[in-house]
Amino acid sequence: MRATHRLLTTLFAAAAIVAITARVGSAQAAPGDDGPYLIRGGTVMNPGEAPMPNTDILIRNNRIAAIGSGAQAPNAKVIDASGKFIYPGMIDANTGIGLSEIGGIQTMGLRSEMGQFNPHMKALVALNVESEILGVTRMNGVTSVVTSPTGGVISGQATLINTAGWTWEDLAVVRTAGMMINLPGSGGGGRGGGRGGRGGGGANPAALAALQADFDQFMTEAKAYDAGRTDGTAKLDLIYEAMRPLFKREIPAIIPAGNEQAIRNAVAFGEKWGIRVVISGGGEAWKVRQFLAEKQVPVILGSIESAPSDDVPYDAIYAQPGLLYEAGVKFAFSTGNGSNARHVVFHAALATAYGLPPEGALKALTIWPAEILGAEKQIGSIAQGKLANLFITDGDPFDLRTQVAEVFVKGRQVPDDDRHHRLYLKYKARPTNVIVP
Amino acid sequence: MRFSNRRSRAALAAATLAMAAMPGTLAAQDVAIRNATILTITNGDIQNGTVVVRNGKITAVGANVSIPAGIRVIDGTGKFVMPGLIDAHSHAALEGGINEGSESVTPEVVVQVRNDDPTIYRVLAGGVTAALLLHGSANTIGGQGRVIKMRWGQPVDSMYFQGAFRIVKFALGENVTRASSTAPADQRRFPMSRMGVEFTVQYWFNKAKEYDKEWADYRAAVRTNPNAIMPRRDLRLEALSDMLKGELKVHSHSYRADEILMLIRVAEENGFRVHTFQHVLEGYKVADEMARHGAMASTFADMWAYKVEAYDAIPFNMALMAERGVVVSVNSDSPERIRRLYQEAGIGVRYGNMPVNEALKMVTLNPARQLGVDKMVGSLEVGKDGDIAVFSMHPFAGQSMVEYTIVDGKVLFDRSQANTLRKQAATQGPGGND
Repeated sequence: MRATHRLLTTLFAAAAIVAITARVGSAQAAPGDDGPYLIRGGTVMNPGEAPMPNTDILIRNNRIAAIGSGAQAPNAKVIDASGKFIYPGMIDANTGIGLSEIGGIQTMGLRSEMGQFNPHMKALVALNVESEILGVTRMNGVTSVVTSPTGGVISGQATLINTAGWTWEDLAVVRTAGMMINLPGSGGGGRGGGRGGRGGGGANPAALAALQADFDQFMTEAKAYDAGRTDGTAKLDLIYEAMRPLFKREIPAIIPAGNEQAIRNAVAFGEKWGIRVVISGGGEAWKVRQFLAEKQVPVILGSIESAPSDDVPYDAIYAQPGLLYEAGVKFAFSTGNGSNARHVVFHAALATAYGLPPEGALKALTIWPAEILGAEKQIGSIAQGKLANLFITDGDPFDLRTQVAEVFVKGRQVPDDDRHHRLYLKYKARPTNVIVP
Repeated sequence: MRFSNRRSRAALAAATLAMAAMPGTLAAQDVAIRNATILTITNGDIQNGTVVVRNGKITAVGANVSIPAGIRVIDGTGKFVMPGLIDAHSHAALEGGINEGSESVTPEVVVQVRNDDPTIYRVLAGGVTAALLLHGSANTIGGQGRVIKMRWGQPVDSMYFQGAFRIVKFALGENVTRASSTAPADQRRFPMSRMGVEFTVQYWFNKAKEYDKEWADYRAAVRTNPNAIMPRRDLRLEALSDMLKGELKVHSHSYRADEILMLIRVAEENGFRVHTFQHVLEGYKVADEMARHGAMASTFADMWAYKVEAYDAIPFNMALMAERGVVVSVNSDSPERIRRLYQEAGIGVRYGNMPVNEALKMVTLNPARQLGVDKMVGSLEVGKDGDIAVFSMHPFAGQSMVEYTIVDGKVLFDRSQANTLRKQAATQGPGGND
């Protein structure tokens, strides 16, 4: 069991000291043991399904091997989940985890390559598996995150990873989950209410026009290359090659777009080039919610923990997800952050307070981001054959009083040896006699 | 710090908002909330309880309370009532820059409050009724802050919380030294290291003690010698002297355990107290030393890894400091977090499993103590100010939101009357392919 919570009274202090020597000894959080595991008697809470009380889950070889009742597995470690709730692991659909560690340090924040057109940059191959943020993130039940490059017009390839693993290959769920594209002059994606800035070009109209022309040319050449490869006339070009999955509609373009016009422009861009589009940020997506629903364009919402601009209602950011849900727009939550990715569940909680049904919030934390990013066969719900990404609680995960009891990532029960628990247990056990000068 | 300057764009919107939401007058008002769960903070939770406010003060709290005829009654069925939240660290509603950064020691300056910042209304919409508005963190010994009540729509001087402490902001660590350590040589300003910060505090309190002695000598001399020469008055040293007397409370921005302990020892050597450490992200490492010194703590719930000195910040900080006897509040330092300060307090339950009432104290009674207003606000008790937040559910429940916020018995936020996204969306249609 995770050691942190209700049990931790003074009675526990002695035990904690023993635990520390084991936990602090290792430099980083470990991904956990492979199992097998049998989680017994919990209530499974899948998105869009009725709760499944008194259910057993058998985990073997990273995956959910069986789900039902009366499962037997003599060699499995048994976890008693009776009276508890089992949720599919949550997904933060936009972070810089593994690329960026400490924001204030340039060399620890390498998310951007030089130049404007970088479809060949892959976030996955640069991921630091030892990032302390991974361990901290998963302990609140966030078992997968998107990590994305930033900067320029085409920033590079976002990847969908698990939050525990031994190598970046082990972490990967979808190696290339989408192509990050900042349309020139499109405006930022992360915040509410139409502010400009991000995406190459800036405010200078001449520079913006030149950049747009460069981008049009790049897209034209990439499209021609795609045709040339198909008919065998073009020779391999590593940069244009990286664009082909977009034209084949194997991956979406993830396009930051905040205001209504930027969103419509992003959708038009996709239609023009025949590529799938996911809106990122979408501060004013509520203004075009019927349009997005009709076009079946999903949205990766920017941080709900944002202050809205002064010209929109006070609850605009909190209330938007509810409006999108009612309109039939598929969306995912994201923190856009690294270190506070585990707060994504609290972002969703705010949305439920202002009109999003909790079942919609659960979808937007699990199966919807999986579907948006092509991972629905791997993660997003607790189902036989999927990766065993799940967490066990004593109640509603949106309630701040709820305690997370266990977390499984890729079939491994992760220990509570993340940076925060290590420091917590170390100083929890500090002797109380004050050292006086 | 993190407060963005968006004044020019804000002006029109502020005026519009103000016209829509500004209450008529500040006249203290009578109001009652009936049949709610009352989270008194100091006297337990009351089921099916009633709170009565008359002339701006709480006159009754309990399960069997009669409501005087003729006053406004809010039906609290199913709702949760708690004291208005208090933010012990904000830069909202401050005029222009928040740092007098010309020198590293400027306790003679005072932050300037503006009453037309729409953030005030949005703060009320999150249940917050009072805040400490602080100087920034560019200076070792920065300027004096202001404690305000969120009396939206009132003149600035009516927003000042009468009876609150006078509070000065210190700062340690990266922010103080950053301006210098990265500047060209000719633009540097002492100090540019944590070592220099320690010396700066020592140096100026030494000067202040000399200054106090000059005045004490003069006052003694003038009794027998009417021609004794009066010392030159120095507002900076006067402010430092007030800190030594305990009349100007020291709130110090801090992150690392070393600098927290350093300031405690410098204060003890010089004869003043660090009243409250702000942020104090590594307070959990020196919680015993803080408690023994008598310092309180006003921290972030969970912010880490955004700079090196925040790499050891942990969300268990609140619980660990509280367990060792430190009075802990959770602050916003942000126009965003102040809108959901109740959620920040709840993180103390999720991480570290604080008792729920202790977590609620972190945004009510404990910041009230840190601001010197705990006799007036911070709990629902007879005689205290009628500053109240009404939530749709328990404030730590996921689906909870603020429905009413009351200051001095006056309903300044009423969700049913507010301009909401749904109301605006209803007038604009669903946004089809037009």
